Amino acid sequence: MEDVSFRYENNGNAQNLTDIKLNVKKGEVILLCGESGCGKTTITRFLNGLIPNFFDGKRQGDVYLGDDLISEMPIYEISKHIGSVFQNPKTQFFNVDTTSELVFGCENLSMSVDEIKKRLDCVVNDFKIANLVDKNIFKLSGGEKQKIACASVSAVGPDILVLDEPSSNLDSKSSWDFEHIIKKWKEQGKTVIIAEHKLFFLSDVVDSIIFVKDGKIAEKWSIDEFRNINHRDFGLRQLNLDNLELKRKEYYSNNQEFLELKNFKFNYGKNQVLDIDDVKIPKNEIIAIIGKNGAGKSTFANCLCGLKKSCKGELIFDGKALKRKDRLKKSYMVMQDVNHQLFTESVLDEVLLSMDEEDVELSEDILRNLNLIHLKDAHPMALSGGEKQRVAIASAIASKKEILIFDEPTSGLDLKNMMKVSENLRYLQSLGITSFIMTHDFELICETCSHILHFDDGKIIDNYKIDENKLKDFFLR
Amino acid sequence: MGLELNFNLDPRTKIIILVILSFMVFNDMSLYVSGILVLIPFICLLFSNHKKSALMYIVVYVLAKYIQIYILPTATGLEAIILITFSYTTSRMLPILMMGYYTITTTKVSEFISSMERSNIPRDIIIPVSVVFRYIPSVYEEIKSITDAMRMRGFGMNIKSLKNPLKVIEFYMIPILISAVKTADELSAASLTRGLSNPEPRTHLLEVKLTKVDYSLLAITFIGFGIYAYNFLRGVLIA
Amino acid sequence: MSEMLNVKDLITVGIFAVILIVLIFAFGMLGYIPILMLALPILAALICGIPYMLFLTRVSKFGMVTLLGLILGIVMFLSGHTWVPILVFTLFAFIADCILKMGNYSSIKNSIISHGVFIMGIMGNMLPFFILRDYFMEAMRVSMGNDYVNVIAPFLNNGVLIILFILTFIAGVASAYLGKIVLKKHFEKAGIA
Repeated sequence: MEDVSFRYENNGNAQNLTDIKLNVKKGEVILLCGESGCGKTTITRFLNGLIPNFFDGKRQGDVYLGDDLISEMPIYEISKHIGSVFQNPKTQFFNVDTTSELVFGCENLSMSVDEIKKRLDCVVNDFKIANLVDKNIFKLSGGEKQKIACASVSAVGPDILVLDEPSSNLDSKSSWDFEHIIKKWKEQGKTVIIAEHKLFFLSDVVDSIIFVKDGKIAEKWSIDEFRNINHRDFGLRQLNLDNLELKRKEYYSNNQEFLELKNFKFNYGKNQVLDIDDVKIPKNEIIAIIGKNGAGKSTFANCLCGLKKSCKGELIFDGKALKRKDRLKKSYMVMQDVNHQLFTESVLDEVLLSMDEEDVELSEDILRNLNLIHLKDAHPMALSGGEKQRVAIASAIASKKEILIFDEPTSGLDLKNMMKVSENLRYLQSLGITSFIMTHDFELICETCSHILHFDDGKIIDNYKIDENKLKDFFLR
Repeated sequence: MGLELNFNLDPRTKIIILVILSFMVFNDMSLYVSGILVLIPFICLLFSNHKKSALMYIVVYVLAKYIQIYILPTATGLEAIILITFSYTTSRMLPILMMGYYTITTTKVSEFISSMERSNIPRDIIIPVSVVFRYIPSVYEEIKSITDAMRMRGFGMNIKSLKNPLKVIEFYMIPILISAVKTADELSAASLTRGLSNPEPRTHLLEVKLTKVDYSLLAITFIGFGIYAYNFLRGVLIA
Repeated sequence: MSEMLNVKDLITVGIFAVILIVLIFAFGMLGYIPILMLALPILAALICGIPYMLFLTRVSKFGMVTLLGLILGIVMFLSGHTWVPILVFTLFAFIADCILKMGNYSSIKNSIISHGVFIMGIMGNMLPFFILRDYFMEAMRVSMGNDYVNVIAPFLNNGVLIILFILTFIAGVASAYLGKIVLKKHFEKAGIA
């Protein structure tokens, strides 16, 4: 039995957590949910000992693990009992190859070599990752990385697992896989505490739900109660994707024009990863690109933007055939990691940089329309994720791009921010821009998109006007 | 594939060879003296998954030596400066650079840590060095994605960026540094929750052992070095 | 220093070592242009000030800068630059660390000077070239004639080495000053420094 209760921490100026009392029984699976910045992550940090061992702040109250005070245990001691999986698979690995990563925790805790071998075999079986052993972690997909992270935490054999938004980079299939992992843990009698925005894959494993708001526990539900509430009222994502309905069943624009893609092919060595002969796509719509990880979506996006030199395809746009360099001028990709595409010291400069001739008034107009004008002097890197994305969009508008591609624009976003993204996409549509969205987010597609490109194995296997049944076939099990 | 012929050396062997090869830089010897040392990186590369590099290496090296011996005496002017620089840098630096390349590409981080710990090197050195290995691929990915982002905004191999080289440097530097700071924090947090700060010595799943191959290569290296040193000392004494 | 540096410090050292290495190697490419080869340390010194100053915002105890130098030296060694850089880099980094310590790790003046000293460690990569100078000259004499060698010789003697050290130091100080400005311009505004 664990007895976890803590009061508050004062981190800098604002109060992050206030009077949190929480009791978690052994073997329970608990979901922490709430808007971004509500304090979910802070709670997880208390649990895995990063507060106070790593993050400084004013602390009151205590967290107990059984009878022991977590704050008085050295952090390596805690790691024997509590395992953590984090949001960003890129930064939680210490090793370059998977096997070393799987046993890293065990090695740190000075377990004997035989014991480590036993545990390694055990987790490889449990998580069905024999195909991932002895691989370069950098070559794995996000879903595979997250599996390795879970397995390597599991190898240490902790009783409690603390997961901080583990699924934000996963596609829907990997999310369902994740459900299996949690089920496995539950079978083994482990306690799982998971902070997450995406809820759909959790409905069968979670026992109880804690809703956090402004650093306080606002509601506690059992799973049955939770199924019956209206999630939108609490700013939460949908628990059951089956309940979602399409917002828009028709195309946005009436006079249908088309873009045509011809001969888009791309090889990695001998593997052909992209193979498109001839495809017509409606212009000035919001087009969702769906498909499993590794289906060729991002290769397609890179080729479409003209970033891949060896892709010789052409895009017929307004009757003109655009070669690679022309496409580079016409199109723009909003990357998943927006940090890589913001360069300057203020939001306004960022927009000006994209213009051939600097025009402050026009820039300010663009910023006003995207609701960024109050931030025009702020440093782009100091903004929130959603704001950064809007700055990137603003710079694309400023450089008169006509095709925009979004790489997972809503990964790790709560409902409110997802809705904002959707609003921005519709605004772009009204400007006459054609947007492509690579996404695993069914909710976003329902809110926004009007056309679907379905990729599998480097090919477009389906190309259709938005259709609820087809989509549900793909997104629901 | 010839996989059964491939071998991998103990990281300690690689490092000892690197140390010894380093001496070659100080002195230019004729091929029959330094020959054995020159061949070592070739052998290592050939019997790992770097057959192409092995061949390239030996071709470039022979070319450099050829230039040095047959073309240089008759070369003049600017041509000569380029040839001298090329042939001398190559014949001295290339073996070491290739050995370095071999060491880095064929050593797993875990092997490296493991063998360093066996040699009782303090953790204060081991941890940063492992982070270096771990972070280089990340930085490489980041540089690629920033380059893409810049190209989409009209900065690339073109006049716009040549006009503002400082801007281009700044544009690369800022995102990379910001993500470096973030990575440092997140990676530390993740490692702490995995028990990295445990003061007790770590154990290692991966056994690194000096094998026959290690001993033979070390022996060859020392013989090569012996010949080399003997010739060097004789040269010094005569002079 | 074992007791003082914690895991986070060590990881920070590793991460920043990578940044510096990538910069040094990226600019090292320019070294293939023969004339620029001598200017390499100066170029590197000009560019490394920014990450170095950012690194210092994370440093508050003795040993981290020395360790950074040592790690850079080790990587140079592993990538085939001989073991000379290990000695040279660590030595200069140690002096830089001492300078920082005198400023209690908060004096801006000391930080800037310490970068000048620290970055002189890069000369470790160059030293082998100076050591093999005689052979280089001999080869030149054979093919280019005495006149030419007499013109170029002064550029390769110990005096030049000292001048290079001085120039590198000045470049290092200048770039650290620039780094301080960039720090203000970007990182403080972005809230990470």
